[in-house]
Amino acid sequence: MSSPLEIGTQAAVHVKDVVHVYGTGTDVVTALGPISLDVPRGSFLVIVGASGCGKSTLLRLIAGFEWPSAGIVRTAGAAPIPGTGAGIVFQQPRLFPWKSVGGNVELALRYAGVPREERARRVPELLERVGLHDVAHRRTWQLSGGQQQRVAIARALAGDDPLLLLDEPFAALDALTRERLQEDLRRVSEQTGRTSVFVTHSVEEAVFLGSRVVVLTSRPGQIALDLAIPLPRTGLEPDELRALPEYAALRATVSHAVRDAAG
Amino acid sequence: MRVLAGAALLGLWQLAAAAAANASFIPSPGAVWEQFLRLSTTHDGIRGYSGSLLVEHLGISLRRILIGSAIGVAGGLVVGVVLGTVPWIRVVAEPVVTFVRALPPLAYFSLLIIWFGIDETPKLWLLAIAALPPVAVATAAAVHGAPSHLVEAARALGASRRDVIRDVVLPNALPEIFTGVRLAVGIAYSSVVAAETVNGVPGIGGMVRDAQRYLQTDVVVLGLLAIGLSGLLIDALLRVTEKRLIPWRGRS
Repeated sequence: MSSPLEIGTQAAVHVKDVVHVYGTGTDVVTALGPISLDVPRGSFLVIVGASGCGKSTLLRLIAGFEWPSAGIVRTAGAAPIPGTGAGIVFQQPRLFPWKSVGGNVELALRYAGVPREERARRVPELLERVGLHDVAHRRTWQLSGGQQQRVAIARALAGDDPLLLLDEPFAALDALTRERLQEDLRRVSEQTGRTSVFVTHSVEEAVFLGSRVVVLTSRPGQIALDLAIPLPRTGLEPDELRALPEYAALRATVSHAVRDAAG
Repeated sequence: MRVLAGAALLGLWQLAAAAAANASFIPSPGAVWEQFLRLSTTHDGIRGYSGSLLVEHLGISLRRILIGSAIGVAGGLVVGVVLGTVPWIRVVAEPVVTFVRALPPLAYFSLLIIWFGIDETPKLWLLAIAALPPVAVATAAAVHGAPSHLVEAARALGASRRDVIRDVVLPNALPEIFTGVRLAVGIAYSSVVAAETVNGVPGIGGMVRDAQRYLQTDVVVLGLLAIGLSGLLIDALLRVTEKRLIPWRGRS
């Protein structure tokens, strides 16, 4: 076990006394905080909350797209800068339609400084890893919404960053597709062993994916519940996992907290 | 359907010509066809019209359009990217572009003749100036309106500022730029007749103007048909190019 001091410096994500406000003058809205949070390496943190609780804001702060109004955000010990150290998956796939499917992944590899010959080899490899076969030459709009989001995940994995940030990536997908992507993401995150921070409003998704679940209150978002999910990460089929009695109990606990937190 | 409509139009034209009974007012389709044959060959030792065949007149005009609009499009791209990315230049230069855009090409042609004489130079300048504003305006708008969610996605992948412009802003602007190019070529096309009002022979606009002076109405009509049909052809070519170059147009 690491000491509390070590967690502060070694954690993949370190959030300390962070407050974030939007607007100026009389229109100031406190979206988030004060909130403190450490995400140890290799863990899968899911942040749950009703819409408008500031969970996406928290993710944008960790990504470095925005700077906190007060407090400290660190990833791997440094102030986060977009494009360094974290792969990001958004709610919409945000693929570039002027590039082929493979071209989108290739671009991510190029930005990560991967040499040309290696890129050609790694593009199909990355697509396979997210469960896509023979799609590299296709146009992005020829893929289904679920497939497009898989490409977005492959693109986020391309940089081999130690951190993966996901902002409600499956919210726009139909239930069946969502379930399959959740299962694949769980598998991929186990295989690659990277730290993940996943934002969602779905309790089911949180308990299934997370090794730890944090529930946020409604605006301004503060931690209402911080719960470890002691379910086995490997060895069980998704259906077996969902059938465990502990699974149902954890889901009930989180669900309760979300309802209370929303007020 | 289109063939039928074309035939009906031809029939109406024939009827109108017969009703007018004055070939210098409305020439019959047959007379225009005869002119077409005469202007495409050497007849009684006279080569086409004013020493050039019809295709040569058309070819020279097309060449002017090509060079003029190429310069205008290139200039428009540069001006558009600058306008779209540097705010203070946009504030200063946008009214100028809008002003030039509102001027009819004939209005500044006189000035160009004073500056550059009556040969090729002022004609190419005219077409270039006419073609520049639509491309500049379209490019500026498209570059300025780069979708922030895609720019953010590129930054998240580690794109530099230059990467973002090359891989997101410009490709995203391409469909709108192409619309501007088609508009520009259309304007250059309609301006070439104006450009050829002075020392325009050989040239299809010059030919029409000379024919008007001598009341050769059939040559005038023939010239109009040549301009219109070649214009349609060029726009069709641009459309095909667009389809191949920008397959993602209208998708996302």
